Amino acid sequence: MSFAQWAASPGPGVGGHEGRIYRACNIGKRFGPVTVLRDVDATLRAGRVLTIMGENGAGKSTLFKILAGQLRPTSGHIELDGQELSLGAPSAAHAHGIYLVPQEPMLMPELSVAEMMFVGHMPTSGRFLKRVDWRAIRSRARAVLDALELDIGIDRPAKTLSIAQLQLVECAKALLHECRVILFDEPTSPLTAHEVETLFGIMRRLAGDGYTLSFISHRTEEVMEISDDIVVLRDGRMVGAAERGAFDRASLLSLMVGRELRTVSRRTKSHVTQELALSVKGLTHEPSFRDVDFSLRRGEILGLAGLIGAGRTEIAETIFGLRQVDRGTVKLGNTDITGVPSHDLIRRGVAYVPEDRGRHGAVLPMTITENITSSRMERVRQTAGLMSRGHETEIGAKAVRDFRIRCAGLDQTLLELSGGNQQKVVFAKWISTEPRLVILDEPTRGVDVGAKEEIYELIDRMAASGTAVVVISSESEELVRLCDRVLCIYEGRIVAELAGEEITPQSVTASYVGGSQARDAEFEKAGA
Amino acid sequence: MSRPDAIPASAVRSEANTVKPFNRRHFPLDGWEMTLVVLLVLVLVGFSWAAPGFYDGMPDLLSMAENFLPFGFVALGLSLVIFTGGIDLSVSTTASLTAVVVAQLWHGFGMNIWVAAGIGLLLGALLGAINVLVIIRLKIEPLIATLATSFIYGSIATAVAGNAPPSGFPDAFNALGGGALGILPYQLLLFVPLCLGFWLLVARSAYGRKLVMVGYNREVALYSGIRVERILVVAYVLSGVMAAVAGLVLAAYYSAARPDMGDPLLLATLTMVVLGGVSIFGGEGTMLGVILAVFILGFLRQGMMIAGFSDMVTTMVTGAILITSIAVKNLFNKRGTGLGNQLWALLRRPEATGSEPE
Repeated sequence: MSFAQWAASPGPGVGGHEGRIYRACNIGKRFGPVTVLRDVDATLRAGRVLTIMGENGAGKSTLFKILAGQLRPTSGHIELDGQELSLGAPSAAHAHGIYLVPQEPMLMPELSVAEMMFVGHMPTSGRFLKRVDWRAIRSRARAVLDALELDIGIDRPAKTLSIAQLQLVECAKALLHECRVILFDEPTSPLTAHEVETLFGIMRRLAGDGYTLSFISHRTEEVMEISDDIVVLRDGRMVGAAERGAFDRASLLSLMVGRELRTVSRRTKSHVTQELALSVKGLTHEPSFRDVDFSLRRGEILGLAGLIGAGRTEIAETIFGLRQVDRGTVKLGNTDITGVPSHDLIRRGVAYVPEDRGRHGAVLPMTITENITSSRMERVRQTAGLMSRGHETEIGAKAVRDFRIRCAGLDQTLLELSGGNQQKVVFAKWISTEPRLVILDEPTRGVDVGAKEEIYELIDRMAASGTAVVVISSESEELVRLCDRVLCIYEGRIVAELAGEEITPQSVTASYVGGSQARDAEFEKAGA
Repeated sequence: MSRPDAIPASAVRSEANTVKPFNRRHFPLDGWEMTLVVLLVLVLVGFSWAAPGFYDGMPDLLSMAENFLPFGFVALGLSLVIFTGGIDLSVSTTASLTAVVVAQLWHGFGMNIWVAAGIGLLLGALLGAINVLVIIRLKIEPLIATLATSFIYGSIATAVAGNAPPSGFPDAFNALGGGALGILPYQLLLFVPLCLGFWLLVARSAYGRKLVMVGYNREVALYSGIRVERILVVAYVLSGVMAAVAGLVLAAYYSAARPDMGDPLLLATLTMVVLGGVSIFGGEGTMLGVILAVFILGFLRQGMMIAGFSDMVTTMVTGAILITSIAVKNLFNKRGTGLGNQLWALLRRPEATGSEPE
């Protein structure tokens, strides 16, 4: 059965309950002096998907935590089918049939899928020596996964599942525990376009079965695609609530951001020069990628598109000297830099802004200034081996100004900043070294819409000043907005190259999905 | 580490957002260090009042420091290692081995004692280098690696010492342990500039910043182009050298070298470093805190001895302080997730957590 047929076919028929209405009434929430939610109303109806939209920090997650029983509201109340609820803990929510699917489900890496689904609710047999009833566990887990037509082996260890699969297993868990209200906490941000389609297919089927669904997102295309009802939050207030038909993408965006925003467009001016900045020949790092060839000129912005795990990050890390080169050469201008370690590359003007802020990008418990200068401490004036604090503060203050980092003081630690501002600090850390070549890995992940546009302008300015830029991104609109050229990577190989007008969201996605289809065709041929 | 103290006026008047150089630390000491200052005063005042013979004039108080400054030397070096998130359990046997080897070079080979002492410092560096090579090249956890080398160094010390360990060094050398310039003991004259040096190294030098980064998050340091292994090598080598300094000072103090001489060093110095606020998980802490802790724990142990408590009791108290300081550190951690942080938050704003919806 094709995916389209499957998604169109009638639901799994797990249900049988009447639909439920879950309502948040006049919810307010304060954390000490900070008010994060004010008079928010939201109604989740059976058979419909309610989307909570908003920028980072708008209060979406807080509202969800209140609905899922993880937080209590400061004012207002929640009611299920007209009856007021007081939920003190997630377990109380489960008891009422309300289930929250976390964004990155807690992983107990050694457990099997079946075990994960029954953690905390293991059926037992025997009277005195209670034994875990593995037969019941296996058959019930299998039944639910089959009902959702999920092709996930129940004996597979959790650590072998993708985030998308883990989310679906969590979803199956909700059905298993007969929860009729299912909340998805920003499920799509770690997923690829293809995985999002699968998830949406399942959400539609559940809605068709009369389940009550809600999810969080700040991606307008998705929201327009899946929602029946939409609530838009901004700064903790409800700025819009209606059926989907009442909105279009532009109105959603302007509601979220609070000002008119240009829709994502192609960049107007290219800054490509003739001067070669980087050339990569036959670069190979088994098993992540092989025979990668490309070159890049000063002022050019080159995109790397592909699915998560296609090898894009590994290519970047190899160029930046963090991974072993198995074969091939890398040249910066005319100098061979194959296998040169990172500290040396930084001195030669190479910068790599990693994808994961907390793990690779910045030391969160250190201050803004300390993080910014950490990419190249030599640039801080030194006397007798001691760094000049005055000069370091100047560098920090300039970066905070240039990158519009919103903070109370330069000695704030990154723990106290929002995700978008943390990302700006990581950017400032690298861009302030004035690199000739900069590699940006998912530069706007977890960054709100307004900050995104600021980051795009920043990247554009860098290119205009002659920096060669590589952008790794899973958002095709971002690549369209930024790039002169896009390379599509599929399973460690370049499968397509797009330039100028050829770069559209459709062509980018098609090229790497196409890569997978071509491969599937090969397999079929080989099998036949 | 650094506290910005100057900022160009243009930054303050930025139209995008107003950036202040400080948002809270106006006082040069943070909360933990202030607590340590108060503790130090309490220890000094408390024992002066409660233990007759503890305070007998300034010269006497200063010379009392001779009894615990060997710990201080080790603590300075050991803190660098703990800043990286590692540990060096071999400091005590490094001190013993250095002292014994120096004594044998002087006694057995007729070497000038100062030349021998110089070789002793190099030996300390070598032993530290062996530790860090085992850790980096053989990829063995610092705890296990230095536990193992500490047994090895200790056994070699016993073998080198033989049946009759040398004693009776020249007076000029002995003065290093017990002599004084006026009322200032030579030990203190050596300790103070070293404190200054280590404080500047950690708080103000690029090396110190990298050390702290490696301690907080080794991956980020790697992705920032920091040569993590170099940072570790310097930390462990300096730890070895400072342990060797302590060995020399102890040998001078007793005018003798014994293979078990360094044994009491480990527990006390570890306690000093942790009491000083350096997190055993790495990164967090200040050198100033460690220096304060050296004097607090040093005077506390001396005071207890003068008050008539046995060595057993002081050791027990030291162990208890070690646990208490780690526990307090965990309860009030910098990320604000400790139990103590949460209780404090609860006390400050009871309406934010457990209140019923209206």
